[in-house]
Amino acid sequence: MSEPLIVADQLSVSRGGRQVLDSVSFSVKHGDIFALLGGNGAGKSTTLLTLLGLITPTAGEARINGVRVHDNAAAVRQTVAYLPESANLYPHLSARENLDYFLALANVAQSNADVEKALDRVALASEARGRSLAGYSKGMRQKVAIALALLRKTPILLLDEPTSGLDPVAVDEFNGLISALSQQGTTVVMVTHDVYGACHVARSVGLLRRGRLVATFDAPEGQHFDAETLHAAFVNRDAA
Amino acid sequence: MNGALRIAAEEWRYWLRSRLAVSAILLMLIVVLAAVISTVSRMQSEADARRTMQDAAEKTFLAQPDRHPHRMVHYGHYVFRTPAPLAVIDPGVDPLTGTVIFLEGHRQNSATFPAAYTAPQVAGFNALTPAFAYQVLVPLVLIVIGFSVVSRERELRTDVQLSAQGLNSVSLWLGKSLALVSLSALLLVPLVGGALYALSQGAAGVAVVALIGSYFLYLAFWSFAIVGVSARAKSSAMALLVSCVAWMAIAVVIPRLVSDLVGAIAPVTGKIESDFALIEAMRDVGDGHNAADPAFDKLRAELFNEYGVDKAEDLPVNLRGIVAEVAEAELTDVLNEFADARMQEEAAQATLARNGALLSPMLALRNASMQTVGSDLGNYHRFLHEAEDARFEFVQGLNRVHGSELSYIDDINRNKDEASGLRARVSADNWRVLQTFDFRPAAPAERIGKAGIALLILALWCVGAAGFAYGGLRDSEGRFHAV
Repeated sequence: MSEPLIVADQLSVSRGGRQVLDSVSFSVKHGDIFALLGGNGAGKSTTLLTLLGLITPTAGEARINGVRVHDNAAAVRQTVAYLPESANLYPHLSARENLDYFLALANVAQSNADVEKALDRVALASEARGRSLAGYSKGMRQKVAIALALLRKTPILLLDEPTSGLDPVAVDEFNGLISALSQQGTTVVMVTHDVYGACHVARSVGLLRRGRLVATFDAPEGQHFDAETLHAAFVNRDAA
Repeated sequence: MNGALRIAAEEWRYWLRSRLAVSAILLMLIVVLAAVISTVSRMQSEADARRTMQDAAEKTFLAQPDRHPHRMVHYGHYVFRTPAPLAVIDPGVDPLTGTVIFLEGHRQNSATFPAAYTAPQVAGFNALTPAFAYQVLVPLVLIVIGFSVVSRERELRTDVQLSAQGLNSVSLWLGKSLALVSLSALLLVPLVGGALYALSQGAAGVAVVALIGSYFLYLAFWSFAIVGVSARAKSSAMALLVSCVAWMAIAVVIPRLVSDLVGAIAPVTGKIESDFALIEAMRDVGDGHNAADPAFDKLRAELFNEYGVDKAEDLPVNLRGIVAEVAEAELTDVLNEFADARMQEEAAQATLARNGALLSPMLALRNASMQTVGSDLGNYHRFLHEAEDARFEFVQGLNRVHGSELSYIDDINRNKDEASGLRARVSADNWRVLQTFDFRPAAPAERIGKAGIALLILALWCVGAAGFAYGGLRDSEGRFHAV
């Protein structure tokens, strides 16, 4: 039996004398959506950055498609698109310029039509696309960052609080988009503290607390998680 | 490499959309252009004036009527120090050192009339030479424009986004450095213009290339250093502060400290003190105007013996001329001994000061620049040596005319009767013993050879700064603070 596409194996990260991740293990199969839930400072973003090879684990290892991330981070990053928590785009550039720049750095050739199509998919108003991001709302910037992740056309998406700043309509559209990508074979790891959002799209969920993965849940076959049940588990675990 | 080029291009786009950066670049280009135009105009006018005056001085000397040759020894002659063509970029010590020396018998006059004494120079704008602008002001503009070149990415957290696209620290280092180095190249355009003008005025191509190269190296050092500080600083504000402190130390404080320290470690004997010692030493040399001076008894005896005579009137040569020639040679030995000692002290001081290049790349550039141009202290000493050679040659030429063309009898009686006075004159054709004085800087290979060590030190500073920048970016690659 082949190894899952993404594997976190006893991942531990210490920073400044603090244990940020403590022996975190999980795996994500090809085409699955895995949501990592946790409160502020639980280590969610650190987990994603470690999977991306931007943070070196102090113990354990991350593997993507069987490759140890820290042995070949550059190659791994070619197969992974990452959506940071706070968009992390240039405010002096327009949406199109940001996409053009980052895609060029990623050596991804996309036509203007592809870019416009991606911006259509995230429902960014066309009249805003040529304006600098300095005048964008948080949600608009988030849409541009999502468009960038989509345009990378990688088999793996790592999403850090992807619906942060989006209005409810945009959240629904985003969830639909992620589900569609998953059905097309894209594997997604998303970290969030939005329990209800995770219930709509994730097939498995991990609860992270103070750097420890305290529980994992799988959605019933062919069904979504029950939001209330998951929320109760999250709150109970959080209180524990 | 494509990633690096893209990053550099993006940095330029950021600058071009920033009013502060565009204003700073334009302002600096105007300042350096003004410095180049002003210095080209001033140095060219200085060079033209000194060449014209040199020509006039020679014509005036040659136009003197038939005279007693010793009168021409005291009539004297002027030699002018023409600045090197590349002094339009770096006048070096030119404005502070004498531009003209009055040559006459029995004396080594000091060079006088430094250009800085002339009224327009005192007015102030003369300090803004291209060399000063590039050594001191341009780095400050590079700091203002580039201090946040890396720290800004961290503050916007776009560094994570860049890394997520597969960009590595080498590309980031190359791209950010390339942006600042290309900005440096743009700011060098006025200097290149000035250097090309100097080329058209006779500067050697190899010296022009070496000079432009040295300034490019210096600005590349700053580019790398700014990237390095920006990569290592915790915030853009801290990067600006640290860069400004570094600029203050490198371009202002260390050069001043080195200068003061060298003055204290290797002081040069004062002029008055030196002159008193010279006067003391000259007392041992006979008076060349007096053939009966006991100091020349031996010379007189040797001449009488050589020609088989027992009195001066019977000599086939003029004893007074021979005595004047020998006395001048002895006196010149003493004068040269003191002049050489003083120049050696000054040269030792300059050599010590050149070691400051190890403490400040600006001092390395200053050394390389003045030596390549030919406006350093060594070049000034060459002028003093060449002027002294010219003095000795023309004075001794006249003394030989005195000894061979003039009868001793007429010479000693020239003030007693008019006929003797008339016969004690020689033809003005003899004034042609004066050689045309045309001071030029040393050969380009010699100048560049002298500048070699400074250029090497500058290159090492540049490599060190590049390593500092690369190390900073490599360290910051894993410095993501997400939890």
